[in-house]
Amino acid sequence: MTSAAESVAGVVESAVAAAGGVFGVAERAIRAGRIGHTAASVYLRIKTPRWWDRLVGNDPAARDMSGVHQRNAEQILETATALKGLLIKICQVVGTRSDVFPQAYVRTLSRTQDRLPPRPFEQIRAVVEADLGAPIGSIFRDFAQIPVAAASLAQVHRARLPDGRDVAVKVRYPDIDDIVQTDLTTSRWICQIYERLDPQPMALLPLLDELQKYLALELDFEREVENAERIRRMFANEERVVIPAVHRELSSKRVITMEFVEGIKVTDRLALERAGVRPRRVVEGLLAIYNQMILAHGFFQADPHPGNIFIQPGPRFVIVDFGLAKELPKNFGLGIFELMFSMMTYNEAAMIRAFRELGFRTKTGDESTYLEIARRMIGASEDGAFRGEFTEEMTDELFDAIRENPIVEVPIDFVLVSRAFSLLSGIAHTLGHRANILDSMAPGGDGAAAAPR
Amino acid sequence: MRLEYTRDELLTSHAYEEPLIAGDVLCHGGFIGSGYVSPRTLHRLPAIGAWQDRLRREGLPLLNLPTEYVPPHYPSYEQAKYLLQEGITDPITRSLTIISIVEGFGARIRDLPLPDLHATFVEDVGGTAIAHLGGGLVEAHARDEAGHRREGGHKQMWEAARDLGLSKPELPGDILLRMMMGRRRPERRREFPELPAVTENLVAFLTGVMIIEIVAEDVFEWAKALLGDPEVCRQNRAAAAMVAHIQQDEKAHVEYLRTALSEMRARTFVGADGTTHVPGATVVDRLFEVGLRGIVSTRPREDRERLREEIHAAIEDRAEASRIASRFEELDAGWTFPKGEDEKLDLLLETAAAPR
Repeated sequence: MTSAAESVAGVVESAVAAAGGVFGVAERAIRAGRIGHTAASVYLRIKTPRWWDRLVGNDPAARDMSGVHQRNAEQILETATALKGLLIKICQVVGTRSDVFPQAYVRTLSRTQDRLPPRPFEQIRAVVEADLGAPIGSIFRDFAQIPVAAASLAQVHRARLPDGRDVAVKVRYPDIDDIVQTDLTTSRWICQIYERLDPQPMALLPLLDELQKYLALELDFEREVENAERIRRMFANEERVVIPAVHRELSSKRVITMEFVEGIKVTDRLALERAGVRPRRVVEGLLAIYNQMILAHGFFQADPHPGNIFIQPGPRFVIVDFGLAKELPKNFGLGIFELMFSMMTYNEAAMIRAFRELGFRTKTGDESTYLEIARRMIGASEDGAFRGEFTEEMTDELFDAIRENPIVEVPIDFVLVSRAFSLLSGIAHTLGHRANILDSMAPGGDGAAAAPR
Repeated sequence: MRLEYTRDELLTSHAYEEPLIAGDVLCHGGFIGSGYVSPRTLHRLPAIGAWQDRLRREGLPLLNLPTEYVPPHYPSYEQAKYLLQEGITDPITRSLTIISIVEGFGARIRDLPLPDLHATFVEDVGGTAIAHLGGGLVEAHARDEAGHRREGGHKQMWEAARDLGLSKPELPGDILLRMMMGRRRPERRREFPELPAVTENLVAFLTGVMIIEIVAEDVFEWAKALLGDPEVCRQNRAAAAMVAHIQQDEKAHVEYLRTALSEMRARTFVGADGTTHVPGATVVDRLFEVGLRGIVSTRPREDRERLREEIHAAIEDRAEASRIASRFEELDAGWTFPKGEDEKLDLLLETAAAPR
């Protein structure tokens, strides 16, 4: 079913695209209208059955809402895919926050991490020429008009420098600042209304604050360049880690020009084997590299999904996209290690201490809640014992338990780290192995980290 | 003499009059009278004694490591004390914390895949330590090292010793980084391809753990001397006592490992094809020598270099850095592994002790 607002939005969007990204008052109103319509539909779909249950004397908590959540998630995805911009980003954030949202939203909205439709080349050319101060043809010998990747805030084109070197050019969408601003304002407004309407609202405004903070960072390409260079320096002595070098003179706040590096997608097992790369070695190396970043250096590329990691023979690991990189508090890695370790040894007193030291807080002050969370997470492992791997199932269970228990404070650093470990576990499983974080850092090296599944 | 024990028996502790509490952490073991009694030793120690006695009666030797192979701890007690006197605590804090983490990793021994031990040897293994590896010995070892449920283990006890001795020092932010640096080692080469991989891995793992446990004796002496020194450590008595408790607990590990490996030496391994037979002494002695070369020769040399750099980097931050660095080096007694790269290493074969 298509509403009038959606039809108008579609027309305006096409007009905006044709006009090369000009973003006016009407477009803002249309975007806000469609976002509002989606938010109202979602809200009513959740609330109406509950109101009805109360009216007829049923227990609203006993109702299975999974179908409703799934329909809502599909509608949000549809709206986000149509309007793009910040909405895609919001979906991506929801897709990582199993601690807050039901699984239907997390699974459906994480689909936005897949390839998105690109922007017309003319918009991209305009940004490159404005920021680098010369016609694109005088800066690059070749510049492919079809991008190699398109995401919510930017897209990447392959190009060639006058001296023949191949580069990848990441270009921010020209109107993304306006879109982000409009969508943030609308979303904030919707959240405020929701919090007034709902007697027990989910804490969405803090999530929005968090998103706003991260967007500011992700939109700042100069910062992304600094992140990439910091991680490049971190692995300067490790031949097996390849972080593409940035051409600073051809980069700006909206453009990053970096060395073009070839590689096999990390989850393409067949291609890896054809290239003589043993999947086990890929898993071991990947774990060792992320352990070094997260647990040892306390600064990491926080988005290790398969689209951001490529493998060269050796194996050598090409890591790209440093928009989401995170500095962890001092000794946070030690805290994560202590938590995993206490779970491995069933040491309950140590589990409580580790949760507390990582920054978790309970609403009631009752620390046995932490044990309940840890027990559920351990119970979701394949053999009912935590051996050092954060599987997706265990992470899901952990966040379900957090959502269902009186935890008021979950450190965002913990969410990002556990998501990263869970993504690595997903990659390992695709390659037919396990991603054992503890084994990877155990004395004796990373050899035992990737046991076959 | 009784040679068969249940898993529960090997995991049973004495009835303690007083538990061991380190800081605010309940630890394993406890006190009876005025003495500390190690955890899970009510039956485990008598059992190990009985298996060793059987070896003695059968005229079979107990495997050991020549003391001259054991590398001294670096930095030495004198060097470490000097660093603390100069206010340079980070290297010592880091070192003690890494020891605690490595001890904790001892829990991974419970994940060691065990073959069917009755089918691994031509001879019967009934009434031996070998037959009890999966029946409580390995699990007791894992629990001793990392703690279990409400009780802390050696990991928490080392942390307590550090906090008592060094007055709960601030932990340097690079502990895991230092621990993980230079740790990647090449995959172990198969020495006996005719044996099932799980069998060779078991022997290699147990010999490696045994060597590490014996080498750790020197670490205990170092830590007791340093943390027990009233000139540099506040709660020196309590700190040194905590290290002594760990040292006492570890004796059970060394003894069950020596016993099981000695029993293996006296038997014949069955090959992967079911018909090939390999003498136990050939397998154990070779894997012992390979492990020994890495653990007491190559690794200490590399670790020493890395630690030396780390300590000098910490000294550099201080005023009078060159004076401190010179004095630190003067206190280094140095150490060279007594055998050349190509020389064959000796194993020490002792007579098992008389029954206790």
